[in-house]
Amino acid sequence: MKVYVIDNGGQWTHREYRVLKYLNVDAKIVPNTVVIDELQDVDALILSGGAPSIANEIYKLGNLGEIVNEFSGPILGICVGHQFLAVHFGGVAGRAKIPEYGPAEITVLREHPLFAGFSRKFIGWESHNDEVKSAPGFTLLASSENCKYQAMAHGKRPIFGVQFHPEVEHTENGVKLFENFLRFVKA
Amino acid sequence: MFNLENFVKNTIKELKGTIRGKAVIALSGGVDSTTAAVLVSKAIGKNLRCLFVNTGLVRDEDLENIDWLKDNTELNIEIIDASEEFFKALRGVIDPEEKRKIIGELFIRVFERNAEDAKYLIQGTIAPDWIETGSGIRDKIKTHHNVGIPLDVKFQIVEPLRDLYKDEVRKLSQYLGLPESIYGRQPFPGPGLAIRVLGEVTPKKVDIVRRATAILNQEIGRAYPNFEEKPWQYFTVLLPVRSVGVRGDKRAYGYVIAIRMVQSVDGMTAAFFKPDFRLLDKIGTRITNEISEVNRVVYDITNKPPGTIEWE
Repeated sequence: MKVYVIDNGGQWTHREYRVLKYLNVDAKIVPNTVVIDELQDVDALILSGGAPSIANEIYKLGNLGEIVNEFSGPILGICVGHQFLAVHFGGVAGRAKIPEYGPAEITVLREHPLFAGFSRKFIGWESHNDEVKSAPGFTLLASSENCKYQAMAHGKRPIFGVQFHPEVEHTENGVKLFENFLRFVKA
Repeated sequence: MFNLENFVKNTIKELKGTIRGKAVIALSGGVDSTTAAVLVSKAIGKNLRCLFVNTGLVRDEDLENIDWLKDNTELNIEIIDASEEFFKALRGVIDPEEKRKIIGELFIRVFERNAEDAKYLIQGTIAPDWIETGSGIRDKIKTHHNVGIPLDVKFQIVEPLRDLYKDEVRKLSQYLGLPESIYGRQPFPGPGLAIRVLGEVTPKKVDIVRRATAILNQEIGRAYPNFEEKPWQYFTVLLPVRSVGVRGDKRAYGYVIAIRMVQSVDGMTAAFFKPDFRLLDKIGTRITNEISEVNRVVYDITNKPPGTIEWE
């Protein structure tokens, strides 16, 4: 299986690569300016987090729009990648009323394959100034006290977004979330 | 998983292809640089010179450790004392980024002076170093000295561990046959105690933090004799403020030491360590009793994020 991590300049982009590598996935980090032709034989994409602000630095997110439009396999957006997905499909993201850094208790709101094997509440680690405010076309999967859109799934395509960081060691069951996501890749 | 055998085989092959002639490594004696040195010496043998620069900003244990490596390994180690030069360059400097840049640059100049025969500079850079140093779209969190290298450097830089994290380097170190006294060493930043003395760095302040560190190390060693139980990293920081105290019925006005202990795997996220209060009591009492310049000790309860592990 071949999975690319689209790099939006996150502190943990390389952690996503490491988690995939440990799952024996053929993983590679590519800049977000990558063109769609280079993703032909790729099975799934991770859109990494990063410092760009979703409200006024969306230009720093390169070709994400075209990539999301053209790529037909599963996509997992993390942090700013997650916020981008909401905006791209007509939603709103902006400055968080209360930003989160470090551990947050996350509640899984409904059963979904992305959270298979998770307990209803788990600790996810956060590092975000912005958040998703609305996401039409997505189903809300998980929330924390200070952030409603902790996880969401698109209604028609295998596209998912998470505000917390499943790729870091301190998030409970983070690796499991990656495994669950990778199951959406058609055999 | 991380396939050590393949990693070693492929890296040695790559190093043999890249390095033609003499190379020098910046050896601090920590896990990263020692592991890199052993790996590179397997590839190029005696063509590797290992330089330990005493910046005056290291701990006592670093000097003991380098002597141990000299006596117990095949590595070709030379020790250079440049402490006066480092303290001079840091005089009056308060900004943490400026400190890191001055130290990084001076390091390189010392190497250039002492290794004119070498074409390559090997560094034990690991993933968090270049990630946090940033470039392009990735924000700079702090300049790691082994990444913020001046542009006019005469060496070609070789970083065989740049894709690895600390836990992986420890496994590799063990795989290469290094003892726990090496693979179990705590991370220690390149700029050393300079970034654990907040504000201006003076030999006197470095000495205070060095003594506080020694006390902390003793107490941690006593409370947690096994490597697996110890916090991932623990150290003391001298704050640039003073506070009021009372000692033997007399007013005291002394420095504040912060204790930082964290639990981590890779240094990219960290939770503050939750020790028994009795241990903190012992540490606080000893530091304030044994170091006359310090009359207050605080415990850092910040996670990463939003804090970094080091304070600067």
